[in-house]
Amino acid sequence: MAEPVLSTILLVEDTPSDAALIRRGFEKTKVLNPIVWTKNGQEALGYLSGLGQYGDRTKYPLPALILLDLDLPEMTGFELLQWKRMQPYIRRIPVVILTIDSATSAVNAAYDLGANSYLVKPGNPDEIMRIVKIIQEYWLGLNESPKLVLRATPDAK
Amino acid sequence: MSEGPVLLVEDDVSDFRLIQRAFAKIKPSIPMFRLTHGDEAVAYLAGDAPYENRSLHPIPCVVLLDIKLPRRSGLEVLEWIRTQESELKRLPIIMLTSSKHQLDVNKAYDLGVNSYLVKPSNNSELEQLVSAFRNYWIDLNEGPTL
Repeated sequence: MAEPVLSTILLVEDTPSDAALIRRGFEKTKVLNPIVWTKNGQEALGYLSGLGQYGDRTKYPLPALILLDLDLPEMTGFELLQWKRMQPYIRRIPVVILTIDSATSAVNAAYDLGANSYLVKPGNPDEIMRIVKIIQEYWLGLNESPKLVLRATPDAK
Repeated sequence: MSEGPVLLVEDDVSDFRLIQRAFAKIKPSIPMFRLTHGDEAVAYLAGDAPYENRSLHPIPCVVLLDIKLPRRSGLEVLEWIRTQESELKRLPIIMLTSSKHQLDVNKAYDLGVNSYLVKPSNNSELEQLVSAFRNYWIDLNEGPTL
């Protein structure tokens, strides 16, 4: 079997300090999955649909996991979920909500829009690091990911 | 965090015993209820006879669902759950199957499964899997209101 390519994680997070912390958390796990950081739903949508520079799937592969904040400028996490569930293939990509909002209504709405899991972002940096490690181990280790047919093939022009 | 039991839908007796044993090692223990086929799972979740009494047969916090099941397959059960009008449609569903078949994996995600786990072939790996399942879905994950 071919050496598995490390799966990309798409992080959608508008707070730079949280994004930095989450990236650092992933870097601390020994598995160095590439992380793409987008600051809002609109940018994440561009990445997922391969707009502009993101059309190069060798450089910007579809992610194996999306970590999504909910309260985002321009396009909220809910709106991105709503868009994503209508897209063929892309709809399969697991989404883990990572947000400070623990309101029941937000949790229920996220599941109704197809979120795979909902995690409440802790305020404490050490706790964030701990959760990132669990996310890495569960979603990129234990969980069986869907196969996305949209993939750059070596002989594609 | 989550209140109901874990609902395990597994027809194979030896697999069930192994999973049960792995659950028994979890401390503190979590209640688990087992059903053996797809029609039973739908009846349980719909609250049809003999599962009308919700104090005896509470709505689970999460379902561990095999794919190859008699009567209705796990994928059919998943589809049934996700097309309900009630809150039941949000119920977290995790496939626990020996099938790594790409078609099964993709179909499950297309139907809205939360996660897909492959049954390991040896006991210690199964224990690790059950423990990771518990840490993630029971302790860490914020479940919906059902």
